[in-house]
Amino acid sequence: MKVIGRPLSRIEGPLKVTGGLHYTADIKVAGAAQGVIVSSTIANGRTRSIDTNGAERAPGVLAVFTHRNMPRMNPTPKPWSHLHPHGQSYLPLQDDQILYAGQPIALVVAATLNEATYAGTLIKVEYDSDPPVVFGPETLKEAVQPPRFLWPVSSSVGNADKAIASSPVRIEQTYSTADRHHNPMEPHATIATWDADGMLTLYETTQHIFGTKELVSIVLGIPPEKVNVVCEFLGGGFGCKGYVWPHTLLTALAARELRIPVRVQLTRAQMYSMVGHQPASVQTIALGAATNGKLNGIRHDSVSPTSVFDNYIEYAALCPRSLWGASGGIATNHQIVHVNRNTPTPLRAPHEALGHFALESALDELAYAIGIDPVALRLMNDIEIDPDSGRPFSTRAMRKCLIEGAARFGWEKRTPEPRSMRDGRYLVGQGMAGAIFTHWRLPAQAQVTLRADGSALVEAGTHDLGTGTYTVMQQIAADTLGLPAEKVNVRLGNTRLPKSHPSIGSSTMANAGASVMLAAKAARDKAIELARTGEDVFVYSNVDDIVVRDGKVVLEGRNFEITYEELLARNNISSLIGDGNYDPIAEGPKATFSFSAVFAEVHVDPDLGLVRLSRFVGAYDCGRVINPKTARSQGIGGIIWGVGHALLEQSETDPATGRYLHQNYSGYLVPTSADIPKLDVIFVGEFDE
Amino acid sequence: MHPFTLSKAIDPASAISAAQDPHLAFIAGGTDLIGLMKDRAELPERLLDINGLPDMDHIEPTSDGGLRIGALARMSDAAANVEVRRRFPVISESLLFAASGQLRNMASMGGNIMQRTRCPYFRDEDGLPCNKRQPGSGCSARYGLNRTQAIFGWSDDCVATHASDVAVAFAALDANVIVHGTTGERSIPFTEFHCLPGKTPERDNVLRRGDLIVAIEVPARTEGRASYYLKVRDRQSYEFTLVSAAVAVAVNTGRIMSARLAMGGVAHKPWRLTATEGELRGLSLSDVDALKAAIATSFTDARPLAHNGFKVELGQRVALRALQIAGGRA
Repeated sequence: MKVIGRPLSRIEGPLKVTGGLHYTADIKVAGAAQGVIVSSTIANGRTRSIDTNGAERAPGVLAVFTHRNMPRMNPTPKPWSHLHPHGQSYLPLQDDQILYAGQPIALVVAATLNEATYAGTLIKVEYDSDPPVVFGPETLKEAVQPPRFLWPVSSSVGNADKAIASSPVRIEQTYSTADRHHNPMEPHATIATWDADGMLTLYETTQHIFGTKELVSIVLGIPPEKVNVVCEFLGGGFGCKGYVWPHTLLTALAARELRIPVRVQLTRAQMYSMVGHQPASVQTIALGAATNGKLNGIRHDSVSPTSVFDNYIEYAALCPRSLWGASGGIATNHQIVHVNRNTPTPLRAPHEALGHFALESALDELAYAIGIDPVALRLMNDIEIDPDSGRPFSTRAMRKCLIEGAARFGWEKRTPEPRSMRDGRYLVGQGMAGAIFTHWRLPAQAQVTLRADGSALVEAGTHDLGTGTYTVMQQIAADTLGLPAEKVNVRLGNTRLPKSHPSIGSSTMANAGASVMLAAKAARDKAIELARTGEDVFVYSNVDDIVVRDGKVVLEGRNFEITYEELLARNNISSLIGDGNYDPIAEGPKATFSFSAVFAEVHVDPDLGLVRLSRFVGAYDCGRVINPKTARSQGIGGIIWGVGHALLEQSETDPATGRYLHQNYSGYLVPTSADIPKLDVIFVGEFDE
Repeated sequence: MHPFTLSKAIDPASAISAAQDPHLAFIAGGTDLIGLMKDRAELPERLLDINGLPDMDHIEPTSDGGLRIGALARMSDAAANVEVRRRFPVISESLLFAASGQLRNMASMGGNIMQRTRCPYFRDEDGLPCNKRQPGSGCSARYGLNRTQAIFGWSDDCVATHASDVAVAFAALDANVIVHGTTGERSIPFTEFHCLPGKTPERDNVLRRGDLIVAIEVPARTEGRASYYLKVRDRQSYEFTLVSAAVAVAVNTGRIMSARLAMGGVAHKPWRLTATEGELRGLSLSDVDALKAAIATSFTDARPLAHNGFKVELGQRVALRALQIAGGRA
């Protein structure tokens, strides 16, 4: 029985809900000391003096590292000059400069966590402090054009400005979004242990084990083969675990200096400054359209802050490049402002989510201005050729997303006039948006082993962020090998396994998943080939007539079959190994994206100003769904992120000190269950090879 | 965390005696104190666990028809108590709108009214300038980000608000805090229990060193049954109040005989709308304009800060809605 397309529960689910699963910080490494990072309370300046005497004499303390005694690190390339795994280029504890609030200024290592934490409070720091540069209306004027990293910084197809200027209907609006933090339930943690041969093992909270291995080897100046990175389970990533941050480097070096394993877990407050965040944006959209709503031109410009030392760009103006058509032209541009903060990093959903808010809001303004239904407006401007690349879309079920989503939501009952829909004392608002998301094509390798007992083992150096990777890889291998799911074991999250890509940008299923499929196919083909070396009917059969199912190699229609166990035993073979190497070309002949249309209803209390979500329908085209249960979890998870983005989440910076305020779940508001009604998720896409 | 010792109190007298030590703190549920210690906003060297003290967790009717709520009763027990719900719905509701189920199961009623402000500057784990935390260091919120801060009764030294919801209900009902101290038992009127910041914002209340809260007594109130707690916050659950109102009214044939109103999220202590209470007497509950005018009389001395001007209008709307709902229960 096929398992792809079935809503299997996660393999590790029972362990998770019974507390039996060990996340990075839970791993017990014999003799590990505990490290605590002490951070800067100012955002700009330098440390004049750091008095560590009290901390060094405190009970249990083994060492206190500052810029004075932390070993020097090798510089790394600017992280955002290319797809590099380093979260930021500024290396910790290398000098007395302070470039952002919350920057590490000391690492205390002690026998217990309490001892290290307490000793950290005994460190006395004197600063030479300068006023912090913070992002705001004043610094917005300092915006500069950055160098490229992920995509071109600007784009221009046709002549957008001319098309907009000559259009009978014009919309121009500015939209801003707030700084946001990832706030995974599991804070970042590192346990570093060196063996006698100089081999470093890092237990790390990461979406990118191989990137961590590469970066650590560069910074520490050791060969990559001397670094092994392990991350079998993550308690959420959302982007901030896709890169290497200062705590990892400090932990590895402290363990080397002290010759004992060292464990560091960030505090909740440190999760705001020691790892990345999504920067605020100020976006300007200009639309020009015909009186019937047909778009002539789109211009989308975005400015966002970054650190003083890196050129991170939040690509908010990415989505209009390929979302809708505009006959006269589409132009986009990004600028950055250098301020005293840690370097930003992608946050679910990176780039696109911010940009869609602005672009789709402006489209609604246009629909209202000309008196056309917002869904009809989008259907009218749907396209088959990607304007940005000029290539046809591989598949694009946007029309289906719009039509089926609208039907499911009951969109036709909506009345467009403001304040025209009510439910008792509440005003009812209904809105919708289309969306597009980049498809990442990344190389991935995997190995599948058929074993003498008739079971299989999948091994791939990819990650399970809490999303169900173990389970979906099991499903892929099971179907390809013709095995029941429970006969397939899966190992992930270790750089000793075949190399895979970072689990970022919703790429794991399509890329790592493809490598597992190829590896399983290779193992299956070896089994079939082995069957045909026997002395029975298989030898004379056409290879196309041989299939695998129920743990057997089967000659269709001939009543001939052999189990994997018998096959391997007969040939005196302990295992059959299949290697999978998925190596997609960076750009295919077609433009590949995922699409969606989402429909929301809110109740607004007009007296008290409260906005509460009451209904939501999301229609998604994300290709073939391997596991409807885990896929739905991704859908509703994305929606809840959107609710937080739209209604609740923001990191505020104190203007006087340049520090993030309320660095905790109490002050940084993520939606609670009470904020989320029943969410309706449908998948309308098809297999996109 | 800094080193501290933990011991158990045997009886109230020895607990009060031990608490003469300025570095000792009582701990009951610990739901606020532990967070304060982790954030280094409080650094007690000795904790005295008072959970074992006898007879302090009862909730029982008093002879005059009121209620006595033991200081060690848990928030969830008080919220679910039949007598509390029957006589003073506003108390039960204010508790249920606070914190989360897990926290309410741990947090004590005495500790609840002792909880400290949620001002993000006060709570910062590395200690931003804050007079409440470090007297003389300045008030970061006064000219910083102050959307959540006070509009009444603040000083240049502190603009923080009080965090408790049930304290707002107790203030509206003119409850009393029953305290045991070195000089024996005394009763503190609830509206006098918490302080305004003035020049000493580090001081939250009038308790003296060694004082042990043993109970909160709510006298019988004709307004008690027709009472309601309305809490406005950015998200639907598990958040401290932005603006709230506790209202209790006595109504006769549609007219307000007497009303009790207190607001949360607007001042360093639960803020009684005394002027409004006087103006409401005799008004018809259906005369919305008159109700609004009565409520406005208590807002003439509102002094909003840079980012919380909305609280002046929102506060009046919250008071009106709460009054109407409470009146509907009469």
